[in-house]
This record gives sequence, structure tokens and C-alpha cells, in this order.
Amino acid sequence: MGLAAKRRTWWALLALAMAAVILLTFMISLAVSIGEISIPLSTTVKAVSNRLFGTSFELSRIHQGIVWDYRLSRALVAASTGASLALSGVVLQALLRNPLAEPFVLGISAGASTGAVCIMILGLGYGILGLSGGAFLGAVAAFLFVGLLAAGVGGTSERIILCGVAGSQLFNALTSYIVTTSANAEQARGVMFWLLGSMSGVRWPDVYLSGPVAIIGFAVCMAHVRVLDAFIFGTDAAASLGIAVKRAQVVLLGVTAFMTAAVVSIVGSIGFVGLVIPHAARFVVGPSHDRLLPAAALAGAIFMVAADIISRVIIPQQILPIGVVTALFGAPAFALILYRTRRTA
Amino acid sequence: MRHFLTTIAFALGLTGFAGSGFAATQYPLTIDNCGQKVTFEKAPAKIVSIGQGMTEILFSLGLADKIAGTAVWVGPVLPQYAEVNSKIPRLADNDPSFESVVGKAPDLVVAEFEWHVGAQGSVGTRQQFSELGINTYVAPTDCVAKVNTDGGDGVRKELFTMDLVYQEIVELSQIFDVRDRGDALIADLKKREADAVASIAAAKAMNLPIVFWFSSREVNGDAYIAGKNSAPAYILKRLGARNVLTTEEEWPMVGWETISQANPAVIVIATMDRRRYAADDPKVKVDFLEKDPVTSQLDAVKNKHFVMMDAQSMNPTIRTIDGIEVLAKGIKSFGLAQ
Amino acid sequence: MSIAVDTVTFAAGNSLIVNGVSLTVEKGKVLGLLGPNGSGKSSLLRLICRLRKVKSGVIRLGGSDIASISRSDIARRIALVEQQATTDTQVTVMDVVRLGRTPHRGPLSAWSAHDDAAVSDALARVGMQGRAGQPWQTLSGGERQRVHIARALAQTPSELLLDEPTNHLDIQHQLDILGLVSRLDVTSIVALHDLNLAAMFCDSLAVLQNGEVVAAGPPEEVLTQELIERVFGVRAHVQKSSVHGRCNIQYMAG
Repeated sequence: MGLAAKRRTWWALLALAMAAVILLTFMISLAVSIGEISIPLSTTVKAVSNRLFGTSFELSRIHQGIVWDYRLSRALVAASTGASLALSGVVLQALLRNPLAEPFVLGISAGASTGAVCIMILGLGYGILGLSGGAFLGAVAAFLFVGLLAAGVGGTSERIILCGVAGSQLFNALTSYIVTTSANAEQARGVMFWLLGSMSGVRWPDVYLSGPVAIIGFAVCMAHVRVLDAFIFGTDAAASLGIAVKRAQVVLLGVTAFMTAAVVSIVGSIGFVGLVIPHAARFVVGPSHDRLLPAAALAGAIFMVAADIISRVIIPQQILPIGVVTALFGAPAFALILYRTRRTA
Repeated sequence: MRHFLTTIAFALGLTGFAGSGFAATQYPLTIDNCGQKVTFEKAPAKIVSIGQGMTEILFSLGLADKIAGTAVWVGPVLPQYAEVNSKIPRLADNDPSFESVVGKAPDLVVAEFEWHVGAQGSVGTRQQFSELGINTYVAPTDCVAKVNTDGGDGVRKELFTMDLVYQEIVELSQIFDVRDRGDALIADLKKREADAVASIAAAKAMNLPIVFWFSSREVNGDAYIAGKNSAPAYILKRLGARNVLTTEEEWPMVGWETISQANPAVIVIATMDRRRYAADDPKVKVDFLEKDPVTSQLDAVKNKHFVMMDAQSMNPTIRTIDGIEVLAKGIKSFGLAQ
Repeated sequence: MSIAVDTVTFAAGNSLIVNGVSLTVEKGKVLGLLGPNGSGKSSLLRLICRLRKVKSGVIRLGGSDIASISRSDIARRIALVEQQATTDTQVTVMDVVRLGRTPHRGPLSAWSAHDDAAVSDALARVGMQGRAGQPWQTLSGGERQRVHIARALAQTPSELLLDEPTNHLDIQHQLDILGLVSRLDVTSIVALHDLNLAAMFCDSLAVLQNGEVVAAGPPEEVLTQELIERVFGVRAHVQKSSVHGRCNIQYMAG
């Protein structure tokens, strides 16, 4: 029968959850203690203590800044964005009934690039809206477009995915058009690199956005646990079980878009997390969403923090883009999962 | 009598000329250039120059009248060539298209970087040009002991030295049969280099840690910093200073943790006309350094030990000498040369 | 009447799919819904459990208009078994049957003993009680259909709608399932293709053609040679079976 079919008892699940939380805390501590340069553990502890508890240990202000302003903020953003992407992946795979669905399938990253490019060109400037704000609005606009299109053509799972493809193509074309025809083409092209995904520009203000987004997103998803389970055989089966299908689709797709747009506006498009983590979590705790959602959120957080650490230490004195790391580990993991769950019938 | 003496003087003058030993180019000339043999039947008449450094060398060799078009400009041209440059059509500020280059019907295309004309050239491959009967010359500064397969800035295996630029000048002056101008240019550059080094001779013992910051994709994010074998590294070596980086990549992306750890004494900030990234603007770079919670604590930032350097000087070109001069002046003015 | 359909019309786009259909089913009885493909059987079933909205007409469950019943109340009393519901997810039999309890559970309610009882009862009734832990992907077509029925039974419905539940099944399972449905004390409407099975297991029949009811009543009244030829386009001879006492249709080829 294999691991995939093993039913876990309540106690085993609780133990697993606690282990995951401990692992996450450990990973965050690891991310704070190791990085591009080595800072002695005692210094790290003192630095955190100084800022957290107001103690006044004697420390180099540079080390203090690195530990608190660089590493801790980045670790927290990594954890919350990883959780957000994983949760979005779970929800989309359930609603769209497609194991290859992932957060960017609804045209969100394409919309984000259009939004960011518009800000650059329209020059609303870093004063009012900023690149991140533009990316967020663009992402939401793309999602609304896809959503309206899907509602108009009949909201079955296949149709929604196709509308997502159409939306991505449209917004990518818009971005290209703006870039090639604008006088500031050089500048606009520069924006495209930013969207490739990077944790390096993260500071504390980003935590204040990504943290609450992940928490709210998680709460909304958990409130819809039964709904997500009921979608397994399609919209009609769900409706026959008493689910308000249209309302559920709007709320769940909306919260997914919201989480993903926030992630893209802070750290850009980081692939593989939203696709692979749901499968990995499903492999361990099974497909019931009351377990799957927390498992995916924790796994996504741990994975992203680990990927960030690796991207910083794997090549001395250099940073590897985090999207490369998630792909390097995500792709083989995905292959392994597919292999382990191959149909025996 | 006068007529006879003039003739004798003229004849002596001619032989004197011939006897001075400057080597006129023997055509056909074959040069081993970046792994390819390039043959010139005669001095090329029409050139397209891709790369500001390359263009400025051609100007310095007095070959402006042969240039039909230029491309790839990082900043303003050397002021003494502003006038000649204004008469030459600029095909693009950055990468020109293959057709625009070929449309000028040149018989030689010169490129500063292999990523423009090379195996993965964004403008074209050398074979594409040779198929149309156009010779190509790529600057040795970009291919000697340098691996460019990733299509990015590449990895330099040995420390760049000005000898590579001098090799480029010699080869170009041979191709165009202007060897005397080439030698004069090299002599002038060597002198300026020696003078600049001497001006801060006292600082040699200090082994100051210095970092060259070109730009960053995100202002808050990782920075493009000069690697250990790059042209800036050569500048530092000549001035007796120390590069904070030890990676061989030409312009690696480095996090601010690493840079801050090294606590550089001077931060060299690139100035350029390009505005692809917000951080291209030197004001944005300084603003970041002064506001970031970590970098604001660095000695160099607290004491405002910033040296503004034209980005073109950070490329392996004749302007590297300018870079040496600018940095030497800066170090001296900060009182670090004691 | 447990289920009463009163002059119901339904259209998709410009085409009328269900046109003035009226029928009734008594409590605990089985109604067989017959008709060629495209006659509107599936749509009618979906209208009855309010998965689609009627254009005109009224559908009543136990006397109340379904338009006035809340969605969750409808789900608590009427269950639908679709023709073919598939999934790629690695679920088990138990996971699927437990879904049937969804209408009875609020977002915060814990799993109760009552839920347990409903699920194990449902499994027992379809004969899958030992197989709760078996992965869905390893089940045969017939087993999957039985599990779907168990899921519907776990909803503890008073009305059960089945849309061609015996397609893709071998004959043993066809008989098993229809026998099961006829023995249940829930009111059932079963859409079928097989006229003989319909005659064997249904208390009454309704025949649809082009969205209209062309015949309704007990099998022996409805299944005449003339109707079969008119609606299904085949020639057949109908007689009462000496084996089980119900109609038996013998088809004539050519």
C-alpha cells in the first residue's frame, strides 16, 4: 500500500505537526545564524536579544544590523511567502482538479510584470505607489480579468485554466508592447529582471505585509476545509453535497490571488513551491484538507527558508537566485513523488 | 644648387623615415584573434564599432573617419573626441541589430565583448559576419584567459592587466597600418599609469580594502561587484589596495553581508548614463548606503569615502588608466595615503 | 408525493432541453427514467436536486417547493449519483464515503458517532464494508460506482437520484446495484438505458423524448412494442416473463 495510503492516527498527526513547527523554528534560527558571512552563534543570540528584549550587549553595529535587519526579516518573509505559495497551490489544485495547477496559472505573475512596467513608464514614481505596489495591482487586475472571463465562459475547471492561459498571454503581450514602444525601454526591461524572484531586497516593512497575508490566507482556507474536500469529484458533486459552488470559487480563488499577488510584489515569481509542496504534503499526510492545509503551509515555509539559506551559502561570496534553488530541489522531488504514486492498477 | 640640395635633403629625409624602423604592415595580414584566424588583404576602409572602449581606442588611433557606425555606449565619450563622435551615426545605445550593422556595409566589425559578437553573440556570431565577407575583431581583453560561455559577464581566469589593452592597440594599429600612432598611444598610457601609481606610493603599504559597486537589480538587493581578476582589480593591484572579493567571476552578484563584513575603506561608485536599473543612478546608490541599517555603519559610509568613477573605466579599456588616476586622487584626498 | 415535478422547462442557450415535464414518484418507490441520449434525462435529474434552475414550473420535495428550501437542506435530503465521477487524487474508499456527511457537518463540527454510523451503514449496504482503506485508484469501475452510491447513502437521504449508474458495469454488478436500489426505503429516480433492467427493478417508468414525457406509468403499461419502436427506433416483442413476472423485451434485429 505504501506511505501514501497509510492512515495516521490523531496522535501521530499531532506529533508530526509539532515536529514541523519545531523544524520551522529551527530553520529560521539557522537562517539567522548562517549566511554569506559567518557570525559566531553567541553574537547572533546577543543581537536578537538586544532587539527583542532590549538588552544591551556590546556588539558590532554591522553584525547587529546583519542579524536583525537582514537575516531575521528575510527568514520571516521566506517562511510566510513559502506558506502562502504552498497554500495557494493546494487550493488551486483542489478547485481546478488539476495536479499541475500552481499559483501562477491564473495569470498573476504576468499581471504583476505589467503593473510594475506601467509604474516605471507612467512614472507615478517610487513616491506614491512604488514598484511593489504596481506589481500587486497588476496581479490583481490580471486575476480579475481571468475571473470575469472564466465566469463568462462557464466556470468549469478546464475553462478556468484556459482563461488563465489567455490572461497570461494577454498581459505578457501588454508588457512586451509597453517595453518595446516606450522611450524608457531600457528601464522597463530592467523591471523584468526584478520579477525573476529574489529574497535579497527584503527588509522589515516586507514582513509586515507577508506575515499577515499568510495568516489571513491560512485562516480563510481552513474555514473552507469541507468545501475543498467536496470539490474532489467536480463542481456538480460538490453542489450536490450542499456547497455553494460559485461563492466558494470566488472566495477561494480570490484569497489565492491575493496571497500570490502579495508574494510576487515582495519577492517576485518563485516557481516550484506552489506546485511541488502540495504534492509532498499530500504524500505524507493524505488528501484530507484539514491536515493537508497546515502540512502544506508548514512544508512551504520550511522549504523556502531552506532554499534561501542554500542560495546564500552554496557558492562562497555569491548569491544564487532563489528560483534556481527551488527548481534544483523541486524538480527531482516532484519526479520522485510522481514515481512513488504511480498507479498500480 | 638650391634645387639639388633640397632634393638631397628630401632624399635623406625619406631614407631617414625608412630607417627609423617603424614597421609598415605587410599585407595580407593574419591575426590570431580570440581563437580564430582573421586575414586582412588591406587596411579596412569601413568599420562598425560595437563597444565604447573599442570605439575610443579607434578614436585615439585617429581612425574616426573610417568608422561608419557605433553602438554600445555606457557613458559620454571622452571629451576630446566629442566632436568627431557627433559626426558618426550611433546605431544603438545598447545592442544593435545584426541588420543595422550589416546595413552599413562595413568590411570590418570590431567588438569589445564576446557577448555581442561571439559564439553566443547578441548581435551575431562571427560566422554570420564572415559569411557576408565581413571580418570581425574581438577585443583580447574579453577572451584571453576568460570564459564567456554563460553569456553573462563571464569568468576571468587570470588577473586582467593593461597588457591586454596594449595588445589590442598593437593589433588594431597593425590592421590599419598606423603602427606609429599605436606605439605613441601605448607610451602615453604607460606614462600616465606610472604617474598615478607614484602619486600615492605611500599608500601601497596600507593594503586598503576597496570595493567597486557597478549597480544592482533591486536597490536593496544584491550588488554587482568587481571580481578578483577584473579591470577594477587591476586598478587596485597597481595602487597597492585590496579587492574585497576573491571570486573569479567578472561581475558577480554579491550580498551586502559579504561587502559589509569586509568593511571597505573606500567604495567606488559607478556613474553611467544608462538607467536600466534604479541603482544605475549614483545618487540612488549613495542614498541606499546612507540609509540601510547595516551599510550606514560602515567606516566608508560614515566618512563619505565615496569615489565616483565613470563605469567605462571599470571595463577593461584604455579608460582603466583614467580609473587609476581617479581612484588615486580620491585615496589621496581622503587622507588615506599617509 | 415524495418527488413531484410540475410542468418544468429548462433551456441551455437557445435550445429547450426539458419541455413541460411532469411526473411524480411515491415515497419509497423507484421510478425508472428512460429515453434516448439527449432526451433530457440528466438535465431533469439535475433540476430535481437544484443543481440547475428551472426556467418555468415547480419541483416539490415532500410537498415543499425546492426553490424555497436552502441549499444545505436540499443536500441533506436528496443525493445524486453521477454517471462517471473520477478523480486523480490518492483517496481511499473511506475518504470518499465520508464526503457524504458534508451536508450534515458545519465548518467547526467534529466527527461524531452518528457520522460514523452513517458511513459504516452505507458501506455495508453496498457490500464494501471490509474495503474502507482501499485506494480509489485500485478499484474497478463497478466498485467505484458502489462507493459513489455509498457516498450518496452516507448523506442519509430520503430521495436518491442516479444518472445511468450501470454504464460500464459488468452484468453481475448491474444486477447488484439495481437490486440494492430497489430494496432501499428511499425514494429513487434512476436514469437507465437498459429497458429490461428498467422493467425488472422499477416500480414505475417515465419515457422522455426531446425533453417531453411521452409515456408514464407501470412498466407493463409503458413498454409497448409501439412505444419502443417510436421512441427508440427498434422493433421488439414484449411479454410477461415466466421467471420473474415482469415485462421482458425481446429485440428483433434487422
